[in-house]
Amino acid sequence: MLKYIFKRILIFIPTLIVISLLTFVISINAPGDPVETMLNQNVGGEGRSGEKLASEKTYNEKRKELGFDLPLFYFSFTNKTYPDTLYKIPKKAHRETLQRLSYEYGIWKNVSTYYQALRALEFKVFEIMPSDENSSKLRNIKDNLNSLYLTHNENEIKQIIETVEFDIFKDSNIKKTVETDFFELKNSFEHLIYNKKIINRYIPTIHIYGFNNQYHNWISNFIVGEFGISYQDKRPVSSKIFDALKWSMILSILSIIIAYIVAVPLGVKSAVDKGKTSEKIITTGLFLLYSLPNFWIATMLIQYLGDGDGLGWFPTHGLGELPKSAPYWDRFFETAYHFILPLFCLTYASFAFISRQMRGGMLNVLEMDYIRTARAKGLKKQVVIWKHAFRNSLIPIITLFANIFPAAISGSFIIEVIFSIPGMGQLTLQAIFQRDYPIVFTVLMFSSILTLVGILIADIMYAFVDPRISFSNKKS
Amino acid sequence: MNLFNLFNRRKNREANTLILQNNNESYWKIVRQQFKKNKIAVYSLRVVFIFIFIALFADFIANEKPLVAKYNGNVYFPVMKEYAVDLGFSDWHDEFRNVSWRGLKYDWVVWPPVPYLPRNIDVSNTWVGPFDDQNVESTSWKHWLGTDDLGHDVLAGMIHGTRIALLVGLVSMGIAAIIGIFFGAVAGYYGDEKLKMSIISILLYVIGFILAVFYAFGTRSYALADAIGSSFGSFMWEFLLSILLFIAIIYIFKLIASLAKKLPFKVKEISIPIDILISRLIEIVVSIPQLFLIISIAAVVAKPSIFIVMVIIGLTTWTGIARFTRAELLRIRNLEFIEAANALGYKEWRIIVKHALPNALSPVLIAIAFGIASAILIESTLSFIGVGVPAETITWGSMLSKARAVSSAWWLAIIPGFAIFITVTIYNLIGEGLTDAMNPKLKK
Repeated sequence: MLKYIFKRILIFIPTLIVISLLTFVISINAPGDPVETMLNQNVGGEGRSGEKLASEKTYNEKRKELGFDLPLFYFSFTNKTYPDTLYKIPKKAHRETLQRLSYEYGIWKNVSTYYQALRALEFKVFEIMPSDENSSKLRNIKDNLNSLYLTHNENEIKQIIETVEFDIFKDSNIKKTVETDFFELKNSFEHLIYNKKIINRYIPTIHIYGFNNQYHNWISNFIVGEFGISYQDKRPVSSKIFDALKWSMILSILSIIIAYIVAVPLGVKSAVDKGKTSEKIITTGLFLLYSLPNFWIATMLIQYLGDGDGLGWFPTHGLGELPKSAPYWDRFFETAYHFILPLFCLTYASFAFISRQMRGGMLNVLEMDYIRTARAKGLKKQVVIWKHAFRNSLIPIITLFANIFPAAISGSFIIEVIFSIPGMGQLTLQAIFQRDYPIVFTVLMFSSILTLVGILIADIMYAFVDPRISFSNKKS
Repeated sequence: MNLFNLFNRRKNREANTLILQNNNESYWKIVRQQFKKNKIAVYSLRVVFIFIFIALFADFIANEKPLVAKYNGNVYFPVMKEYAVDLGFSDWHDEFRNVSWRGLKYDWVVWPPVPYLPRNIDVSNTWVGPFDDQNVESTSWKHWLGTDDLGHDVLAGMIHGTRIALLVGLVSMGIAAIIGIFFGAVAGYYGDEKLKMSIISILLYVIGFILAVFYAFGTRSYALADAIGSSFGSFMWEFLLSILLFIAIIYIFKLIASLAKKLPFKVKEISIPIDILISRLIEIVVSIPQLFLIISIAAVVAKPSIFIVMVIIGLTTWTGIARFTRAELLRIRNLEFIEAANALGYKEWRIIVKHALPNALSPVLIAIAFGIASAILIESTLSFIGVGVPAETITWGSMLSKARAVSSAWWLAIIPGFAIFITVTIYNLIGEGLTDAMNPKLKK
């Protein structure tokens, strides 16, 4: 048995690697620059060169602290235009532009020269003291240079460079300071577009970056339980997630337990009574319940039983606001009272599902010969049902746990959002709307792990219920 | 309803003629007969046909433009015209550009039954219920199912929402079926021992696959990304090109591999445990939490689109179909007619596609029916919480979510929710009906 569990956990590893890769790929493609989000500022734009330098310095320091100055992965398999040292460029928006430029023109070295020239020119421009007569022109130049960082279209770049040229040459003071750097930029761009090498797009290349990369650091931190820092309030993700996970787990587990307790007898009854009117009503009712979208029911319950315009029987928001100092049982009952509606919404669908399966399993078993034999030898109906049939029809129900558990997790997601329960669902949705990706990806990883654990528990329970299954020689 | 009967009768006739030529059809005939005995399932199927009708003709049922209108002495068909304009065949007349269709002075005009589009805003009627007093010119402009906070007509939203709901089921299950049937068939037919290849061929296929991914998707990534940005049609076109390129490269390597077979020296053949590999893959995909994955992806996509949601649903739900297909093919591959086909020397792909799969597809239909129900449910959940589906797309889920803001708007809570419920239920009922039809034993 232990050996089997160990084997199962070994199978988890590739699954988790795949999910972590998926998560990582999504995370690096997420819009927005995480460093900027963390610093709550936009680097560049206004200010003197000293300030600009200082702000770029803080940016780079933060970037280093967060580990974003490393290559993405152990290796890269790309076409030859892909810049192998791209990760050294600080800003994400700049990286995207440069990568695109490199793709369009084929030679990364030229793009790099162009980028360096652009930066040199920008610094020169920032060194000029703004005065009354040139400040508007200076601002124009700065804006235009900034937009060069974000443009990959050849005509647009040409146009911007022309505008900058026009602005620079109108003011002799500016012209004197930045002329050489400007021509450097212009030449480097022309060099870039005249030395196109499109064939490079079609040559596959592999770069090896080694273990010091972003994915490696992220996943090894994840394994030791460091999930990073939330962008919103700078709290560690782990503490936020554990706070939220508590409520989600209570909800899901309670709902699964209740669902099984209600569903199993109901399923058995409807199987035994097959053909009676009462059974038909139960079966149809269960089927309808199973198809009812729980967010619809939740909305309706809030409207008609909630404390807004409805009957006011149940609270519909949060978990109650009793202070921590209130007696334990008061707080307990307050929370339980708030749990009634969400639990109901979360439970009815899975309980309908389970009892339908229970009914199916029971019907199958009741057709078996040994049930007829048991009845024939004069055993009471109750004994036959509960002692002979019931145990054997449990097997499919147990395996359902593997389906129910993930469904409960994601089901609680939407219910939490509707009832404003501070669980994983609420946390994730907020994180998504505020672009707080460390939380989103940790939640994604966590829910996958929980799903895997659910499947494992189902497999183990399977073995307990059905002694015929032995895991030692089970063909995997 | 009659339409369906007609369709069915014709199908039956076709089936009858086909039976003479092909014995496979008789199995389907039995399934169809069994299915027809299940009255509820048959009625569900009819409701689906009604929904399909509404979805196809949504533009004619609810539209801001007149169906037919005589204006300045000319007769126009603005709704038809719109199709032509959208497809690029034609252009609007100058007098119809940027006009309010309701404000024009027509000689005579025939409006659609619901003279609104879901996105039309009626400022004088916000939050009005079906039975409230509405500030409209006449009953033909009445909002039969009320409006929401901005004065969007609920009935128009329901009609056009049908299209999205059906499309979600169709596209996502189409993708799921293609992937699922392919993997399931390969895993089930070949098992762990039947697929034998020389090491050279394996190597060539691996290289071919990597290069195909590289050329079809790697180097074309910017073309694909730009196409997503511009329009769905252009994206589909670019994507199709990528797929064709992919297949072409794989085919080239297949040719090389077949050449390599003719080498003078003998290379050892090893069997590939393809069943284990695919089963592992299924296990991995099953344990990915679908809703969280969709929400995460939808959160990072720069331009949310309903099609991205459909594709992700398809990419994560193929496992059920693959399992069914695999199980069926594991059974079928040992049957006599497959052995006969093998003995006749048919190519393996031909055996799988022409002989094995047609006999294995019935359980797949069940999985698809239930899959459509869950896909519609997922999509409406997503639009309910407002993730992944663009705000301007009006779906049943997004209409339902508006009921959360104002609790007195009972019509927004009941109508879209009921539509979702009905759609999910009928697909589930069809799934049930198919299950019963294919396992007549359970019916007894």
